[in-house]
Amino acid sequence: MERMKKYYLAIIRRLLVTFFCLSVVPIFGFAWIMKGTVEETNIIKLEKLASTTVDHNAQLISAFLKEKQELLQLLVSLNEEGAFFDQKQVEKMFLAISGNGDIVDLLVVDADGDQQSYVGPYRTLVTGKNYYDAAWFKETMLSGIHVSHMFSGYRNVPHFVVAVTDPLKGFVLRATINSSIFNSLLHSAQLGPKSDVFIVNRAGEFQTPSLLQRTELNDTENLLLAFDRRNETVITASEVYATRWLINDHWLLILKADIGDSLDFYLQIRNRVILVVAVIIALSLAGATYTSIALARRLEKADKEHAANSLQFAHVEKMATIGRLAAGIAHEINNPLQMITSQAGWIAELLPDEDPAQVKNLDEYRKSVEQIRHHVKRAGTITHRLLGFSRKISTENDRVQINELVEETLSFVQKEAENNNITVVKNYADDLPPTLTDGPQVQQVLLNLLNNALDAVGPRGVVDIRTSLCAGDRLCIEIGDNGPGIRPEDLKRIFDPFFTTKETDKGTGLGLYISYNIVKKLDGTISAENKKGGGALFTVRLPVVTLSRQG
Amino acid sequence: MNEFNVLVVDDEDDFREVTTKRLTKRGLKVWDAESGAKALEILQESRIDVVLLDVKMPGMDGIETLRHIRNLKPLVEVVLLTGHASVDSGIEGMKLGAFDYLMKPIELEPLLEKLADAYEKKRLREQKIEMAQMKKHMSMPS
Repeated sequence: MERMKKYYLAIIRRLLVTFFCLSVVPIFGFAWIMKGTVEETNIIKLEKLASTTVDHNAQLISAFLKEKQELLQLLVSLNEEGAFFDQKQVEKMFLAISGNGDIVDLLVVDADGDQQSYVGPYRTLVTGKNYYDAAWFKETMLSGIHVSHMFSGYRNVPHFVVAVTDPLKGFVLRATINSSIFNSLLHSAQLGPKSDVFIVNRAGEFQTPSLLQRTELNDTENLLLAFDRRNETVITASEVYATRWLINDHWLLILKADIGDSLDFYLQIRNRVILVVAVIIALSLAGATYTSIALARRLEKADKEHAANSLQFAHVEKMATIGRLAAGIAHEINNPLQMITSQAGWIAELLPDEDPAQVKNLDEYRKSVEQIRHHVKRAGTITHRLLGFSRKISTENDRVQINELVEETLSFVQKEAENNNITVVKNYADDLPPTLTDGPQVQQVLLNLLNNALDAVGPRGVVDIRTSLCAGDRLCIEIGDNGPGIRPEDLKRIFDPFFTTKETDKGTGLGLYISYNIVKKLDGTISAENKKGGGALFTVRLPVVTLSRQG
Repeated sequence: MNEFNVLVVDDEDDFREVTTKRLTKRGLKVWDAESGAKALEILQESRIDVVLLDVKMPGMDGIETLRHIRNLKPLVEVVLLTGHASVDSGIEGMKLGAFDYLMKPIELEPLLEKLADAYEKKRLREQKIEMAQMKKHMSMPS
């Protein structure tokens, strides 16, 4: 039993694994791919957005710077050299170009580095200063133009300078430009709360403040800075970087977008997918579990029935064999019995011819012959019954008188009942109609029930048998006893195969199951109940089949 | 009891012998045969009224012998005797026209009764035939 349980558990387990592989794994795989796809699409979109944003801003900044350079160059080419050394003229120029407040001051330095004119808020600091050794002055004199890094200087506001020289290198015109305008511009380019936009110079110094107040570049940004003169888009695990070089690779505009920031929508989808997948997995697991268990149960039941049927078949086979054996023996014995009775009869016939005076023990002989004939008759009854039993193997429909059948069946157990002092109370209805049914099979059922009843009551018990016409046109055979009865929890299992309350070697648990099947096959019913006064009561109901009904 | 002629057919010698002796003692004329073939021979030669026929015999069995007897002497009555209680062979025999069947072991008295009944039936039938023939002759003056 334990082994079988393990076997069915193994089946359940195997089914579950199969179901799991067939349903949960593909669903999970699908969800995983979905998740990846959505994520990737999102990143690609973010990358594009970062790229266009950075492009746009680079263009704006470049245009701004170019405009300032051109403005200065325009001033240089429009005015004569002398005008730049005249404070009044320079003031006029400043007024002309500083309309929108971008240009903070305007400085003119001659070829020797001496300050010549200045318009702006720091006149006292600048006046008389020599810039000959300043790097920006040297570069301007060399390459004609200079754009500085950003610095706060003594102005304490971020700014940078643009310086140009005239084609003859007679002087340098330098404008200080308020760079806070970049800050607001870049502010608008921020793509999310964790995103950053800023400009660094080639040395990695922040030209505009990091929007996240950072002071150091991270590794990726340093790497990007090291990629010389190329506009890059780089995707890392959590960020998208887009970079553009500005003003002759002087500055690098870096846009950093946090993937997480833009993932809100994706996360919504992902959560929904996870929820759906979880629900599907839960449902299919529940379904798989239920189906597996149900299948295993059904298998178990089928196996049990199969085993019971095999046993029943074997039982029928065995009974048939016993029957044939009994018939063969009976037949062989009947012939010698015939001889014995014939010879004894012959003696009995001849005895009267004897002279009583000559035959001393004539009476004894006569008595002995009578005894022989009596016992042959007895033996004959036994062999006839054996032959009758063997006949019961055939499954033809007989015309059966239930009372006779019951009486005949009782004769089989009469001896046992007598030995145990069991009283058998008979209560037959007289007017029962004969029915066409399988007499021997019915007899087997009755024998089963009688044996059970005898077992149940034990010595000095009472078994009562009642036949009647019940439920209109059915033949009822009730077999009751005054034994301990059937436990209520056993009542519904009592006709199950292998159910037995007897000791292991006494009962197979098949008797009632076989009886149940026989009665069912004969269109009858069999039921068990407990009597009110105690003891069990089995009722067999059979239909009355007449020749005409049978067709 | 009327005296009539009986043929006992059984493969068992002892049975034939004792049965013959006992029936003869009761005033019947008895022939005996150990096989179906022998029985048919005797039936040809002698005027037998009733045959007591064992169903189970080696060679030609009782049922087959019965079939031959019906063909050969339709008026002869046959009582089957069997050690086998199979009702089937009894019914088969009755269908083939046997008068009745008896089961071994059987006492002489019931056997004798059955034989007498069979003979009575045969006698009545023969009487009827005779009457019919007489009527036929009378209605056909030649």
